[in-house]
Amino acid sequence: MFGGSLLELAALRYTPAGIPALNFRIAHASEQVEAGVKRQVECEMACVAMGQMAQLLAAARPGDALRLTGFLSAKSLKSRTPVLHVNAIEFLEGMNHGI
Amino acid sequence: MNFRILRVALDVPLPRLFDYTVDAVTQEDVGRCIRVPFGNGEKIGVIVALADTSEHAKLKQAGEILRALPALPADWLALTEFCSRYYQHPLGEVMALALPPQLRRGKLPAVRKAKPIQVIEQAAPQLPELLPEQASAVAAVAADFGRYAAFLLHGVTGSGKTEVYLRLIEQTLAQGRQALMLVPEIALTPQLESRVAARFPNALVFSAHSGMTEGARSRGFIAALDGRADIVLGTRLAVFSPLPRLGLIVVDEEHDASFKQQEGLRYSARDVAVWRAHQCAVPIVLGSATPSLETFFHAGSGRYRLLELSRRAVALEMPTVRCIDTRREKLQDGMSSALLAALEVRLARSEQSLVFLNRRGYAPVLACPACGWVSRCSRCAANLVVHLADRRLRCHHCGLEEIIPKHCPGCGNLDIHPFGRGTQRLEEALAARFPNARILRVDRDSASTPKKWQALLETIHEGRADILVGTQMLAKGHDFPRLTLVGVVGADAALFAADFRAPERLFSQLMQVGGRSGRAALPGEVLIQTEYPTHPLYQALEAHDYPRFANSQLGERRAAGFPPFVFQVLLRAEARQLDDALAFLKVAAATARELLPEGVSLYDPVPMRLYRVMALERAQLLAESMSRPALQAFLARWVSRLYLQKAPRDLRWHIDVDPLEF
Repeated sequence: MFGGSLLELAALRYTPAGIPALNFRIAHASEQVEAGVKRQVECEMACVAMGQMAQLLAAARPGDALRLTGFLSAKSLKSRTPVLHVNAIEFLEGMNHGI
Repeated sequence: MNFRILRVALDVPLPRLFDYTVDAVTQEDVGRCIRVPFGNGEKIGVIVALADTSEHAKLKQAGEILRALPALPADWLALTEFCSRYYQHPLGEVMALALPPQLRRGKLPAVRKAKPIQVIEQAAPQLPELLPEQASAVAAVAADFGRYAAFLLHGVTGSGKTEVYLRLIEQTLAQGRQALMLVPEIALTPQLESRVAARFPNALVFSAHSGMTEGARSRGFIAALDGRADIVLGTRLAVFSPLPRLGLIVVDEEHDASFKQQEGLRYSARDVAVWRAHQCAVPIVLGSATPSLETFFHAGSGRYRLLELSRRAVALEMPTVRCIDTRREKLQDGMSSALLAALEVRLARSEQSLVFLNRRGYAPVLACPACGWVSRCSRCAANLVVHLADRRLRCHHCGLEEIIPKHCPGCGNLDIHPFGRGTQRLEEALAARFPNARILRVDRDSASTPKKWQALLETIHEGRADILVGTQMLAKGHDFPRLTLVGVVGADAALFAADFRAPERLFSQLMQVGGRSGRAALPGEVLIQTEYPTHPLYQALEAHDYPRFANSQLGERRAAGFPPFVFQVLLRAEARQLDDALAFLKVAAATARELLPEGVSLYDPVPMRLYRVMALERAQLLAESMSRPALQAFLARWVSRLYLQKAPRDLRWHIDVDPLEF
């Protein structure tokens, strides 16, 4: 599970087989405990939503708070940077609900 | 004299004639079709000779001589015999190709008044004034009427080559002779037909191409044979029209690869036409803006005479050709900002533009970025091309079609991508960028039938399209008066192709497609996107200097020992397994070495570049010589041995003389 606010949202696109796909980025900010010490963390995550998830997310706006469930996979053979593939989306009310 | 034995050519894949006994036959029957028993059945063949004796015992009795059909004339028989000998192909098969299908089956076309091309009644056309170069070209050829002479009419695009042909045909008809005109593509014949028919309303014009109905082809063939037809106009197979009053042969766009048949009898209609002109002692005109290097070489050596048309007939200037250096630019959907801006300008002026990309489909391959899977054809050594318009993957070599998979067959990834760019993708990008422009894609998919093709041409001519996205279909022969810009995208790949003819083809293709622009009153511009703007090929294009390009290519070919400085012959073999094909060729090569005369060299068997097509694996063996007679003499002996060579059942082989593709 990963949450944050929607940073940027690409235009809805379709795979050659006609499946909707949407690339977006999430800005995550939260408070975590590390070796017994509380700390602030921040990061950004490239995400992709396919099929129904993509259509659902197409209505979102930058700034919207989301909670995502999914899995990580490399961006491509060349770039091994992980991308979060979304299986479930929860829209949260308000801002700063990072988990 | 009474002969008792007939020699008959039959449509069977054996390099021999078949002898039959007969009761009564005269010399007049040579060239007639005849019904003969063959195996358990019956076949129709052509009587090619009469004889008193046969080397075969126990001859069968021939059947009926089909005297209702016209006899094929001696010069036609000689023509087919030449093709059989030169291309090492059985005579019966050559004749089967040269005859229209109905005659081959011993039938006359339905009794219908042979219908020449319809002419819409119109006032006598105003003949354009000839430019001095055109007039002297006409005079030069006309001076050789009645004897063999070969001319290369090298005219820049839009220089009025067709007008020269028409004037020569006019003079030929005035002398009571027939004219044969060959054009590269069926697609081009209708407009030429109507132009020719309108010009010669009193002449009988027939066309001959494979797109015609059997009846129409037969009627045209018979009209040519009995001398009624005045003009025969057609694609490569028209070279086999029997023409008793032949007075002139014209081969338009003589450099075009479609004059060479790539299956069965692998003949070059252009080369056969030259032989025929020699045989019939008539002049032949080979016309092109970008002659084949073979023809250009002959013109340089004095074998052909060079006639130049260096100026455009209607338009004042040649289009300006400019390279756009794309090395430092991030292209937008494959297009540079200079090209996009030029398109914008044409839109504002309501002139037409053409974006030329010689790759149809949406993208040349579908690939998975996660695991590296690519859409391979299961039957060929090639990729399946993405056709997004109808959600299909297609093999452009064997026609295999698949639905675009929902996910990667390798790893299950849904997010698979088309890679690269075809005309469909370019069309999509242009539509997004210029939402108010009328964009028309013209390729083999959008012009899949002659009717659709005609409709597309009409749309263009009537000005109902602003930007054309097209492949080489649009490159040839068309006159679009409002077209002023040609943008060339993705041409660089051909610079580095393994085929030594690739630069020649690229140059002629770009010259042709560039020539579509600015043919009428409006000046034309050609923009070529490239990462190699200083490449000699592009520089020669910018200077409209075909001779410079051709001479530099000829220099390279001479240094490398490539045609036209050598003559080549390929033996190709195909089988389920590449090893079988290679093994066959190895034995064939051993045979060849036994026979190999001085001056003929033989290479080793190798897999073909596209080594697998339609689940057959292919290999080839090259022999070459500086001397055509030496190569031909060797070839005849070699091929007779090949027929005796044992081969696996599924193996097929063929000989390709003067091959164009490797």
